[in-house]
Amino acid sequence: MEKIKLSKGFTPQLAGMPDTSLIQLPTPHTIGLSALDIPYIRPKLLVKENDPVKTGTPLFCDKRDTAIQYVSPGTGTVKKIWFGERRQLQEVVIALDAPEKFVQFDPVPKKGLGNISKQELILRLKQGGLWQSLRQFPAKDTADSSHRPAMIIVSLNGNDIFSPHPGILLDREKQAFEFGLDLLKHFSDRVIVTARHSSLGRLKPILSHITHTVADTYPAWDPGVVLFHLKKSADENTSWCITADHLVMMATFLITGRYPVERIVTVTKNGDKRPHILTRQGAPIKILSGSFHPESLVTTGRFNGRIADIQGHLGFFENTLNIIDAAGEDELFGFIRPGTDKTTVSRAFLSCLSKNPQKVDATLHGEERACINCSYCENICPNDLMPSFIMKALHSDEIEDALAYGLLDCCRCGLCAYTCPSKIELTQILSHGMDSHYKDKA
Amino acid sequence: MNPLKKIFDNNEHLFTGSGKYKRLASLFDATKTFFFFPSPTTKIMPFIRDHLDLKRYMSFVLISLVPVLLFGIYNTGFQAGIASGEHLGLGSSFLAGAWVVLPIILVSYGVGFFWEILFATIRNHKISEGFLVTGMLFPLTLPPTIPLWQVALGISFGVVIGKEVFGGTGRNILNPALTARAFVFFSYPVSLSGNVWVANQNTVDGISGATALAITGGDGQTITQALSSAGFSLSDLFFGLVPGSIGETSALCCLLGVLFLIVTRIANHRIVLGGIAGLVVTAILFYLIPGGQESWANAGPLYHLCAGGFLFGICFMATDPVSAPGTHAGRWAFGFLIGFLTVTIRVVNPAFVEGTMLAILFMNVFAPLLDHMVIKYKTSKRIPNV
Repeated sequence: MEKIKLSKGFTPQLAGMPDTSLIQLPTPHTIGLSALDIPYIRPKLLVKENDPVKTGTPLFCDKRDTAIQYVSPGTGTVKKIWFGERRQLQEVVIALDAPEKFVQFDPVPKKGLGNISKQELILRLKQGGLWQSLRQFPAKDTADSSHRPAMIIVSLNGNDIFSPHPGILLDREKQAFEFGLDLLKHFSDRVIVTARHSSLGRLKPILSHITHTVADTYPAWDPGVVLFHLKKSADENTSWCITADHLVMMATFLITGRYPVERIVTVTKNGDKRPHILTRQGAPIKILSGSFHPESLVTTGRFNGRIADIQGHLGFFENTLNIIDAAGEDELFGFIRPGTDKTTVSRAFLSCLSKNPQKVDATLHGEERACINCSYCENICPNDLMPSFIMKALHSDEIEDALAYGLLDCCRCGLCAYTCPSKIELTQILSHGMDSHYKDKA
Repeated sequence: MNPLKKIFDNNEHLFTGSGKYKRLASLFDATKTFFFFPSPTTKIMPFIRDHLDLKRYMSFVLISLVPVLLFGIYNTGFQAGIASGEHLGLGSSFLAGAWVVLPIILVSYGVGFFWEILFATIRNHKISEGFLVTGMLFPLTLPPTIPLWQVALGISFGVVIGKEVFGGTGRNILNPALTARAFVFFSYPVSLSGNVWVANQNTVDGISGATALAITGGDGQTITQALSSAGFSLSDLFFGLVPGSIGETSALCCLLGVLFLIVTRIANHRIVLGGIAGLVVTAILFYLIPGGQESWANAGPLYHLCAGGFLFGICFMATDPVSAPGTHAGRWAFGFLIGFLTVTIRVVNPAFVEGTMLAILFMNVFAPLLDHMVIKYKTSKRIPNV
């Protein structure tokens, strides 16, 4: 087991860490399949409202490769299809009003992986709605099945600091996880399995599979950061990654021939210590989040998620919700207070002397100004980028310069915009730069 | 609700939209946000943000200037006392100094803010906090004898030509406070040359005193002997009870200020340490060159460090992040070259007794080039990803 050292990044003292116990929620009345958390997708709907669906029935596919399907995580009828601006598909809502029925595929016996061709595996995973769990760098789009990646990175820890503890999942699903690892060996010669140092205690059963441990500094466990620290040549830039829960889903799907619907999620809130929740994929956010102050923001990752609509459902790629206080109070003389309770990377508040968990809120703490070249973004970027210079290159349309500065190594962890004292939306600017380059290339 | 907040909220309509005073919207906003720190909800990821912002950033520079400012006021009064032949106590020195220094600061802030508001109104943007620092730094680089109209002219040049024509704080090439000082320096050399120092115009028999850097040895006297016979011992120069510009005389106060800035990570320690290293190395090199016993070439690193405005410049002017390089290696080189140029100008060029201002302005111009070279090198070390 090797250790990946991270010299930058950020370890905030956050309050609201979830408890490692597990509770099960009763089956909700509705579930949803969101399209909002699927990067680059151009969805094509395959169902209409009031259509009956089984668990595993394709609801929409990706126009760029119609074989890649997104399937229903439950049995019932299509209750509502939500569209956003310009009729962009947002969510397909299913009412769970029928006994569970599955779209059945042939199960793969546990030892029988070697008897199936790679092409058949790919096809089955695409039809089963799970191929998209494999993501391809640098843009983290759906993996290109004709490509053989230099490595596949399996991250046991999710995008947020308080994403579900991998031990809770793997205690239950050790065999499926091992099956999944065998499966990945069909696609690449090198399979990397990473875990946070603090998670190791509960990962004893699968310890032998972990190839690399990473520090507890955010975002050391992000596959983009792992790739940046492992890669030695340019052809590793197109490696793949997958999260442990998706890998378990893939394996379960192949073993049983049925689309797996269970998900373990966390819901975190300042001051709370909520248990992990076992629920269905696509569970309603309202049920997961419980009650909270109306002036709050619900996100699917405080640094790198999206704002979740309280009427919506948790997406395929999401397994954590953060309820963050957003009641921004204009503090009298706020700019010069000693600040014993302010989270900060800097040394400009007294709170930097304390190690106690601190409350955070979803406000900007200031107003946008011009970049003053302070290097706070460079000092925190886990992938050794200089976000301010990339931002300037992008603003002046020097895309070649931005790429040379390492734009595509950006893992969109959100730390540059988090730390910027001028409150420049660096993550968004870099992310848009990457996206437009990627779309141009495609 | 806070009664002050109520006043702002009740009057906001006058300054926004088609309100009566909509031209003063930027002034209203600046005043309001001075009292009530703005904190709008985040809409874009990351959803949590650091508490440090530019208001606090710039305010910390002002806090770090407090020792320099207080000592400058005291020293101005003290030197004025000496010039009029009396030895003033702490309180009366302070009062006499304040009488001279505060008008200079008020003019600098008043005129500077006028330009800031004018540009903010025309361009319809918010007043940047950067001027809080510029408006304080500029007066501290001036001798107390400066006429107030020159202060007004200088700060106008610094703010308009040094900063606003480029687009405001964050986009300027040169440090605006030093640009202002350079303007006064070259336009009215008599006011700023090192030889005249009379703070109190009303004294009957004011004496003229030279600043330390204007002194040279001669008649077999080495520079250090000449300095101590003129009343500039190393400890005087370190503590700062000597004639000079308002803020620059005390090396101790500058170091206290910059220590605060480095500990809070507002100023970049690379620039300060690089600058001191550059100055020390260059001063030793000149010291080792034979001859020049009576000139500043032979003064050694400690005198070079404590005399003149070097420490004030490297601590507060060179660490201005906007006009300094944005890369770490670039900052080391930037600081080092400022130290090198300061000593070189002091020793080699007889036209200028002090080289700090020119060294910093010169290196400000070269900062983008340093960045360019560092980034080129760093880029060549990356595994390409295109």
